[in-house]
Amino acid sequence: MDTFFVDIYSVSIFILQFFKEAFSGPFEFKEIVNQCYKVGSKSLALVSLTGLVTGIVFTTQSRPSLSVFGASSWLPSLVAIAVIRALAPLVTALIVAGKVGSNIGAELGSMKVTEQIDAMEVSGTNPFKFLVATRIIATTFMMPVLILYTGFVGMMGSFLNVYMNESTSFPAFIKSAFSSIVFLDIYASLFKALSFGFTIGVAGCYQGYNAQNGTQGVGRAANLAVVISMYLIFIEEITIVQIINSIR
Amino acid sequence: MKLFENNQTVKVGIFIFIGLLILMVTIFTLGGQKKTFAKTFVVNAFFKDVSGLQSGGNIWLSGVKIGTVKKISFQSDYQVKVTMHIETEAQKYIHKDSKAKIGSDGLIGNKIIIIYGGTPTTGHIEAEEVLAVENGLSTEDMLATLQVSNKNLEAITTDFKSISKKIDSGEGTLGALLNDPSIAVKLNETMVELQSTVANLKVVSENSKKVVSNIQEFSGKLNKPGNAINDFVADTLMYASVNKSLNELQKATGFVNKFAGNLSTASEKLNDKDNAVGLLLNDPASAASMKNTLKNLEYSSAKLDENLEALQHNFLLRRYFKKKEKGKLD
Amino acid sequence: MNKVEAKFDTNQVVISIKDLKKSFGTLDVLTGINIDIFKGENLAVLGRSGTGKSVLIKIIVGLLKPDSGVVKVLGQEVDKLDKKALQALRLKIGFSFQSSALYDSMTVRKNLEFPLTRNRRNLTKKEIDDAVEAVLDDVGLPQTIDQMPSELSGGQRKRIGIARTLILKPEIMLYDEPTSGLDPITCIEINNLIVEVQERYNTSSIIITHDLTCAKETSNRVAVMLDGKFFITGSFDEVFRSNNTDIKAFHDYNFINENEIIRE
Repeated sequence: MDTFFVDIYSVSIFILQFFKEAFSGPFEFKEIVNQCYKVGSKSLALVSLTGLVTGIVFTTQSRPSLSVFGASSWLPSLVAIAVIRALAPLVTALIVAGKVGSNIGAELGSMKVTEQIDAMEVSGTNPFKFLVATRIIATTFMMPVLILYTGFVGMMGSFLNVYMNESTSFPAFIKSAFSSIVFLDIYASLFKALSFGFTIGVAGCYQGYNAQNGTQGVGRAANLAVVISMYLIFIEEITIVQIINSIR
Repeated sequence: MKLFENNQTVKVGIFIFIGLLILMVTIFTLGGQKKTFAKTFVVNAFFKDVSGLQSGGNIWLSGVKIGTVKKISFQSDYQVKVTMHIETEAQKYIHKDSKAKIGSDGLIGNKIIIIYGGTPTTGHIEAEEVLAVENGLSTEDMLATLQVSNKNLEAITTDFKSISKKIDSGEGTLGALLNDPSIAVKLNETMVELQSTVANLKVVSENSKKVVSNIQEFSGKLNKPGNAINDFVADTLMYASVNKSLNELQKATGFVNKFAGNLSTASEKLNDKDNAVGLLLNDPASAASMKNTLKNLEYSSAKLDENLEALQHNFLLRRYFKKKEKGKLD
Repeated sequence: MNKVEAKFDTNQVVISIKDLKKSFGTLDVLTGINIDIFKGENLAVLGRSGTGKSVLIKIIVGLLKPDSGVVKVLGQEVDKLDKKALQALRLKIGFSFQSSALYDSMTVRKNLEFPLTRNRRNLTKKEIDDAVEAVLDDVGLPQTIDQMPSELSGGQRKRIGIARTLILKPEIMLYDEPTSGLDPITCIEINNLIVEVQERYNTSSIIITHDLTCAKETSNRVAVMLDGKFFITGSFDEVFRSNNTDIKAFHDYNFINENEIIRE
């Protein structure tokens, strides 16, 4: 329990330092772009595939229960609610946590234990700004983009399925899909995306940046980065849903 | 190396651009669908019961979405104030005496407000005005109506069942007519007999005509004087009595003639149909009960029609009817 | 055989350490370090592994904060400097890490460019390339320029690590275990490189090592650390020919053959 509060404290300090570094110049624009590219290129393929499969499978599995009521025309709106409100942010976040979070943890961890971070610091570069801030910014701002991709691909998967089974036209599908979606849903998902991305970045960087005990510490950092960010993502998901529902 | 880096920046740029594009398209599609960017004006309505209407619910005019419910609040006891934002475009189609009712876009779908009716001469509604309301058909009402219809249907089918049972078991005239072959034979015999009777009667009447003419001739001869019988006949008393008997005889012939005519038409009617249904038409009791049955059937079919109409608007079954219609077209 | 000549100027102190103390939790690592390092001098710090030698140079470069005492580098008190001044000071200090600390994700060229491009932002591409090639020549590895650090041997990595610090033309070099984990021949190469660097770049150096050969070959002066203190300083010969019992113990502990030390 002692270490728990110590961790909370040091994570808070870590986050505070992030904001201090992120909003003070000089800005590492090039490195941010580089990290954005890494986040995007690492997860795009898997996220697209998962989005497509999620859309198709969710549509397929929802059809029987709606067909019982003769309401399979509700499929698009049902899938839209599920994908846009919940599945796209959550699935994307979990994948990015697994792919990018672990990578950040391992990369920074190995840089830490092989003194690369110290080397950077003594050669006149602020490693927190250069390594940590850029990564957190990259995950935070790439996540909404990735979630939009996932949502889009997921809906396309759903459309494919609905088109083949109910021969619904694309405009009709879009109309039906958007009929149950409101702006709040989009904003909520984007807000979720930002907080999930921030969580993944902070968890990965914190674990990596504070890695210890050689190569063993690197593995531990990568592992903890994923586990902690997944836990936090679930907690955030539940919290944000509660908040949004109270606004709705 | 430089090229690669630029390439990377471009890729990230494209990636983010496409992401933003998806976002923009989503927002505009949603905006278009929700008509967020259309100009609206405020109209209020006071309902006793909004049946679970929620803010954000749609407002329909002639089946077209023209606005959304912005706020639902209690005004006083049994009064719920519904504030609606209606597109300015639709303003001219809503008249001062138009009414609002709570409807539904499906049996378990969202509650909506339906605006309907009104006369153009009253002019269109202004912002902040209050619409008259009618408490619409709720789901429970619909189900209640359906319940009554079901009971009627049940009664009708029970009636039918007992009728058909009776007919089948040969009870009543209709049953007997339909089921007993001997009656048909008898009827046939009767007709033949009637025919022969009529023929006989014709002969009788011919004969009686002859008798009458004979008598007339005889009486004429009698009227001539110088005949032995004349004297006898000249006795006026006797003449009168003979005359009287002759008249009566003539009357009787007329009756016989009439009877024969009646019989002839009756037999013709019977001859028209190859079975005994013709007779049924002349049986007032059967006809009355038949009439009643038909009336009941008519009433129930009208009820059924109503139910079907209601069901057609039911969201869950709409698809079935659409399919049916499509099938018809094919 | 000592290649290093006593050409340093005792009037010019580049690093001055007074009563430096540092502990981690209950473990007292440094318990009162006092030393001055002069311009052009190579100081070898000898001591057992894990006695806090690395902590000393990390305090000098500002990676760690001292608990008490004064550390002055080029006249500036390190732990009192603000971020910007500390960064400026660090550019004058080269730090060669025990693990070389090359950036794994970058090629050798990128590794060498990194300090330059990040600290001298107005350099042209040509100037950067020239500087990179010059330091690679100095460490004798021009052929590795487009290799990844993982493709290099331990000795090559050490040299690239040193090259990366040299590219900023430092006044002070700090070597953390420069010969650890290397074979004897590579050790000799590294030792020679350290001496060459001192001559060519006119640096003052602190060499942290537990390798007596390295200390002997590269240093003008030796300081032996025991229990967080320098208990003896002087030239290599002075220190190891003395009859101090603690030195004897140090010999014994390090299994050092007396003959090896006094070998001419």
